[in-house]
Amino acid sequence: MKVSWNWLSTLVDLSAVGTPEKLAEILTGLGLEVEAVNRQGAGFEQVVSARVVKKEKHPGADRLNLCQVDSGDGKPLQIVCGAHNFKEGDVVCLAQVGAKLPNGMQIKAGKIRDVLSNGMLCSEEELALAAKSEGILVLPAGTPLGKPVAEILGRDDTTLELKLTPNRGDCLSLLGVAREVAAFTGAALKAPLPKGLPAAGASPISTALEAGEFAPQFLGCFIRGVRVGPSPDWVRKRLEAMGARSISNVVDATNLVLYELGQPVHAYDAKRLEGKQLRVRMSRAGEELPLLDGTTVKLTGEELVIADEKKPVSLAGVMGGGNSEVTEATVDVFLECAEFDPVKTRRAASRFVKHTDSSHRFERGVNPEGQRLALARLAGLVTELAGGAVVGVAEAVGPARGAGLKRAQVELEPAFIGRFLGLEIPDAEVERVLSRLGCAIEKSGAKWQVTPPAHRLDLSIREDFAEEVARFLGYDRIPSTIPALTNAPTSLLDSPAAQSFEALERVKDILASQGLRETVSYSFTSREWLAKFGLESSLTLINPLSSDQEAMTPSLVPGLVAAALENQRKHFGSEALELRLFEVRPSFQGPGAGTAVHSKSRTDTGVTETWRLAFALSGTRYQEGLQADRKPLDFYDLKAQWEQLVERLGARGVRLTAMGEGSRLPADPRYGMFHPGQSVAVLGGKEVIGAWGLLHPRIAKELKLRAPLWIGEVDWDALRKLARFAPREFKAWGEHPGMERDFALLVRDGIDADKITQVALAAGKPLAKVVRVFDIYRGSPVPEGMTSIAVRVIFLDDSRSLQEAEADEVSGKILARWKSELGIDLRG
Amino acid sequence: MIQQLEELGTQALKDVEELDSLQSLESLRVAVLGKKGSISEALKGLGSLSPEERPKVGAAANQWKQKLEAAIEARKRILEGAELDRRLKSERIDISLPSRRLSLGSLHPITLTTRRIVDVFRRMGFDPVTGPEVETDFLNFEAANVLKDHPARDMQDTFFLGPDVVLRTHTTPNQMRQMLSRKWPVRILAPGAVYRKDSDATHSPMFHQIEGLWVDRQVRMSDLKGVLDFFAKEIIGPEAKVRFRPSYFPFVEPGAEVDVWWKGRGWLEIMGAGMVHPRLFETAGYDPKEVSGFAFGMGVERIAMILHGIPDLRMMYQGDVRFLSQF
Repeated sequence: MKVSWNWLSTLVDLSAVGTPEKLAEILTGLGLEVEAVNRQGAGFEQVVSARVVKKEKHPGADRLNLCQVDSGDGKPLQIVCGAHNFKEGDVVCLAQVGAKLPNGMQIKAGKIRDVLSNGMLCSEEELALAAKSEGILVLPAGTPLGKPVAEILGRDDTTLELKLTPNRGDCLSLLGVAREVAAFTGAALKAPLPKGLPAAGASPISTALEAGEFAPQFLGCFIRGVRVGPSPDWVRKRLEAMGARSISNVVDATNLVLYELGQPVHAYDAKRLEGKQLRVRMSRAGEELPLLDGTTVKLTGEELVIADEKKPVSLAGVMGGGNSEVTEATVDVFLECAEFDPVKTRRAASRFVKHTDSSHRFERGVNPEGQRLALARLAGLVTELAGGAVVGVAEAVGPARGAGLKRAQVELEPAFIGRFLGLEIPDAEVERVLSRLGCAIEKSGAKWQVTPPAHRLDLSIREDFAEEVARFLGYDRIPSTIPALTNAPTSLLDSPAAQSFEALERVKDILASQGLRETVSYSFTSREWLAKFGLESSLTLINPLSSDQEAMTPSLVPGLVAAALENQRKHFGSEALELRLFEVRPSFQGPGAGTAVHSKSRTDTGVTETWRLAFALSGTRYQEGLQADRKPLDFYDLKAQWEQLVERLGARGVRLTAMGEGSRLPADPRYGMFHPGQSVAVLGGKEVIGAWGLLHPRIAKELKLRAPLWIGEVDWDALRKLARFAPREFKAWGEHPGMERDFALLVRDGIDADKITQVALAAGKPLAKVVRVFDIYRGSPVPEGMTSIAVRVIFLDDSRSLQEAEADEVSGKILARWKSELGIDLRG
Repeated sequence: MIQQLEELGTQALKDVEELDSLQSLESLRVAVLGKKGSISEALKGLGSLSPEERPKVGAAANQWKQKLEAAIEARKRILEGAELDRRLKSERIDISLPSRRLSLGSLHPITLTTRRIVDVFRRMGFDPVTGPEVETDFLNFEAANVLKDHPARDMQDTFFLGPDVVLRTHTTPNQMRQMLSRKWPVRILAPGAVYRKDSDATHSPMFHQIEGLWVDRQVRMSDLKGVLDFFAKEIIGPEAKVRFRPSYFPFVEPGAEVDVWWKGRGWLEIMGAGMVHPRLFETAGYDPKEVSGFAFGMGVERIAMILHGIPDLRMMYQGDVRFLSQF
């Protein structure tokens, strides 16, 4: 909200405040944050009125004039001017040397075509009075000389822009801000405002309440014989300062009241109302109402409307009807001043997307005791600006208003405030602050009964009063203390929440130590993007910013691939893009694509969030070095990375198993994104908890990826449960040297190395401890369809040294089993 | 015979000094001192000498053998040294060629900043917790005293997944989740992603917050100030100052905006804070007459941007390696 300094000063004495900047500081300190202070006269300093004493042609330039101007001191200044729309004797606006105009122009003394010019004569454009102007601004004859132009033009106001929090509806008016200033400085509120409703008879149009608690009061005033026309300057200036535009004197009067008192009011053309009564009632479903902004809304039965005997004439609290609008032809007006329910107003405004100054105030609650004052003020303004005479007043006041209005008393122990804030405050100081705010205090011993003023709808519990006291003493007065621990910290050992936080930090460190860089992607993406990976979101935003961000992602991989593409897009040169990304974040599983979620209980959404760990790698094994060193990353690099991760997590029961052809895993659409021959599923116990491998070449081609991309993802919640974060136990190593035997085997295609080592370990029990494939070879002279595989077996016994014969004997057993189970022979 | 040894030895000594390869030196050693070497050959006639002469000749032969062995050994050392020098010279590499570098990993500035902040509060007794990012309307709003149809709802533009299910707009639901699940005292710190329907250079639809909550008997607003003072000094430096301004958040009363004085940057608004609204205690089943508490919530990205000098919020979520590799 904007606050005009000049207008505010009609409501409260600002002399104790001094300047608008100081006012801004005070208001911000009180919690009414001032975002900007705009002086209308900014840039007008050193721009004064001056008379053109002499005007002649510039000796060196035909299109320029050489002038002598007098700013009242009788010492004419020489000014070069390019405009021609003035004559000798005219009073003009002189920007003196040193002035800085609103458009940023700095005025300096200088030579123009060899002739000295000691300032500038200003145009409206240069003074930011008009977007475009021709020639200079000529002031009325008789304007005193040497006077600041800002003053002459009435640009002497300053507006403060307030960013109000929703609890302070009472400050959505100059009166509300004035109250705060008065409470702070101790100055009294000025009262240029009428005391009561104009003394008059009954209004020809009466008002009625037909919406119960949703509209507890509806006052009106009938004025006959107005002349609708433009508003005088002072009205225009006030509205301009508040950021509003002048419409007509009657409409402007309603806006003046809204800004001044915070009570929205409305003026109807009385002749266009049918019948003798206006009522506030609930709308009827299907009713149509044309509004002032030219649109027509179809009512639902849920809105409050003001209606005459035939039709709705206003969307109550939101916007007046076009069917009863005040126009230049209007002679009699009926003024409405009512109180509408905040929720009903809010819903109506949001249903029809009509957020207005009026709905903004009703939503936040208007002063239930402010209607009579506002109506009186409005009637006074209308008759002052548009003439006419008050014929009568209508008053419909419900049982909970008027004399029936009761604000609840709040029990307050004054010592509570100091105790709560951590600050010693004498009771008298508490009393002083609350009284200045308009609270009524009844004391009975250490307990007070406090009644807040009617306009402070936000004060209802003792903590509210603590805030009021703190605001007015200044939050700076609150000291710094350190609270004491009164119990032990939560044990990491029995808090799953703390454990999962620890584990998350641990795995991020491990991944970073493996050379991966952490990235963060949005949790939502487009359905189309997910579809490229064969994925579908089961959780959709109802109101996304755009369809690019509507699907909550079931996997982190699409986000990482998007980041890879983005990096590729920005990458240039002939070197491979080096990319090693990881992310650990939740993924989301809901009821199904495009299906709204219905929560299961107050605390259970029914949505499953599974934390996932994902990675994407591309590039070479080494990131720098010579060409020969920079071999592209391959499956076995990824495998090492994975194995080391599992090892460092101490995760038990995590295995890799082949996917695709020959795999015993059921087909899973989540793994369609992988190259079937160069990817693995990750088993945690018997469950598949993830997979990694090469991005399917079909997808890579479609996405125009320039290099192979290795991707992977695992259910972090599941992996975390298999991990061990307890201290590792030391294991002693054997002191006796082992024995090695190497075998060159001829192996049929389709038999994986894993199989060979498993058979060897089983056959070689208990001495064969390690079986390792250390070389493979295909091609001549190895027959087609076969691979030569070199296997090393290490025999160990922790308690003794082995004899050659023992190793030979076990080797024989292993060879026999290779032959019998896998049909493998030694390469001859 | 002694004469013959003399000639042989003198010639061999001369040859040793002239040889310039280990190989030829070895050949010479074999040729002179070997079993079939020239000295052995020369001594073949020893048997025909008189018993008086034999020891003399034998002694002379041994002397020459030792002399020659020593000379050969000395020469060998010289030649070996020279050869090592040659080899070392030939093995010189260009140390200025590029290194074979393995990728160094890194953590995201959001993680780094979260850790810094969490560490500070942990030392004061706060325990980190996490909560879901999809929340019920109840926990995100109602339980935080942001009532339905109240203008306070406009303070945060919300993404909806259903009529009463939202992407959490703040980490505040963690307050209630924790209070509902345990008895007081409560001292928790809840970092996590939050969502608001807002996107421009300074707003991201997803960002991160850290929520703090301290509930106990007789917790005072001055305690909030003390805790945040300590936080500011730990994160920013000993010159940091904290300023509270009255403000409004429905879940606290009194409420405050918290500004910190950052050297060279002035006052920066970095979080909202206040004393827990008694309505939250009622919802949690705590007796507001018995307990009080404070809560605060800060934006991680904002602090990360200041700490690292990051110019544009959007860089945080683009996964650009040029960005990620700097932290």
